[in-house]
Amino acid sequence: SLQEAFAAGLLKPGMNVLVDKPKKLVNNVEGLKQCLADFRKDLPWVERLDLTNLPAANIISQAEEKASAPAAGELDADDDFQREMFFYRQAQATILEAMPLLNRHSIATKRPEDYFAEMAKSDQHMQKIRKKLISKQMIMERSEKAKKLREQRKFGKKVQIEVIQKRQQEKKAMMSAVKKYQKGMTDKLEFLEGDQKMNKESSQGSKKAVNKKGPSAKRKYKDQKFGFGGKKSGKKWNTKESYNDVSGFRAKIAHGKGGKKGKGGKQNKRPGKSVRKKMKNRS
Amino acid sequence: MDQQPSADREKLPGRSISGKWTNKERVLIFSSRGINFRTRHLMQDLRTMMPHAKADTKMDRKDKLFVINEVCEIKNCNKCLYFEAKKKQDLYMWISNSPHGPSAKFLVQNIHTLAELKLTGNCLKGSRPLLSFDPKFDKEPHYALLKELFIQTFSTPRYHPKSQPFVDHVFTFTIADNRIWFRNYQIIEEDGSLVEIGPRFVLNLMKIFQGSFGGPTLYENPDFRSPNMHRREMRLAAAAKVREKQMVKEMQKGKKTSAKEDLESDVTADVFLTPAEEKPADIQTEAPEPKVVKKKQKAFKRQRMQMARR
Repeated sequence: SLQEAFAAGLLKPGMNVLVDKPKKLVNNVEGLKQCLADFRKDLPWVERLDLTNLPAANIISQAEEKASAPAAGELDADDDFQREMFFYRQAQATILEAMPLLNRHSIATKRPEDYFAEMAKSDQHMQKIRKKLISKQMIMERSEKAKKLREQRKFGKKVQIEVIQKRQQEKKAMMSAVKKYQKGMTDKLEFLEGDQKMNKESSQGSKKAVNKKGPSAKRKYKDQKFGFGGKKSGKKWNTKESYNDVSGFRAKIAHGKGGKKGKGGKQNKRPGKSVRKKMKNRS
Repeated sequence: MDQQPSADREKLPGRSISGKWTNKERVLIFSSRGINFRTRHLMQDLRTMMPHAKADTKMDRKDKLFVINEVCEIKNCNKCLYFEAKKKQDLYMWISNSPHGPSAKFLVQNIHTLAELKLTGNCLKGSRPLLSFDPKFDKEPHYALLKELFIQTFSTPRYHPKSQPFVDHVFTFTIADNRIWFRNYQIIEEDGSLVEIGPRFVLNLMKIFQGSFGGPTLYENPDFRSPNMHRREMRLAAAAKVREKQMVKEMQKGKKTSAKEDLESDVTADVFLTPAEEKPADIQTEAPEPKVVKKKQKAFKRQRMQMARR
């Protein structure tokens, strides 16, 4: 046929590609309508029980104010959840519409309690289904429990550490208070009730008081002597700052003219060896 | 759960004694040879769901399709659901109105049967279903025809001797993605809570014929691709990908091994050369003076220390 066309002068020079005629698909609308008219049976609705309706309103999506795509348009067949919800809602709408109609035709929809009849799925099968559902639930519960336990353990560990540290601090405080009492520095026995008092005070207040003093005097001295690499050799003794520093000046002592010796130092003076021996032998 | 004796049937609620079965619909459900277990179960499920259905033995595929019409006549059925399996993979379903009416051929996909444990609903065996259709069925003439066919086939006639008087499940037919999706739900509460019973499948329309299992074609689905073509396309696509990769590899190989251009003599090297001006020749008659080098004479550390000690 190519040669004939060429002979007739219809073909232009150049590549002539064979193009398939697009397939013509049959859509005999008239025939379809005719056929439908022929074979349709005009049965009363009661016989057919069919309904055509859109899905019922989606309560969930309404609550969330989401614009649901298949409101009137296309349903995405690949989005499984959306698709199944669409079918579900279509069935729901049918039921809602059909209930009054069925009632009018006195067709029952509720089965009475004592009506036993063969079911589409056997009892054995339903038991299997129930067992599977229960086992699924159990698995979920177990995994939840395990997760919670794991969380608790982590949390519990934290709490445990905190409690131990607190106890250690308390013990330390107690021991130092006891030592102070033994050494005669404080003659009050408040530390025994210390716990109660501590609980009454706000813990924050007492912590602040402790922190104000900061490191002890001993610590400060040692830091000064050995801290930051120790005292630098050859450090000048008399600098402008050290000369102008009058923090070591005690007016009472400077102008006191040896008051302590004059008074006779029994205040904090430790008795001599012989006296102590005597005291010991006496008691 | 036993079956009630039929003598008590008249006393059951909802069944009036004056009910005569007038709508004589009978559906013949059978298949060809070479079906797999899923199809067989689907057929059995449909027979369970539809009390007005009759079963028949498997038909040899060698026979022509219009033999089915004769089988239907023998069995006194006026509708037929025929399942045909090809290549042990694809399942086609014929639905037809037996003596003269239209028939349609579908490709069936995504079959889930009653026996699946995820489908947890249950219904009375032989209870009448409600049929629910998508409004899209009314929009096109071919869908309207299919709707009528489905209604006549799937709805259980009233007062059928094997049917139960209650309406407790609903079949839904929906059109999505040019396919018809079938679902079966159990009605739990009258306010609309449902559970799926099954079975479920997807029908892909191929052709509608004017006669039963033959006759002029009334409609052909333009979006239908036969499963063979589909598989072929996948294979071709995969092959094309592999070929492309190979070609790319070969090209890269060729690039590496091909003779490189000779870059020793650059043609453009002389473009920017400008000859320099001639400088006057400077002839020095006297030798330059020697530079004075100051050398630090530093003794080694040890020597220095010894010297310091002394």
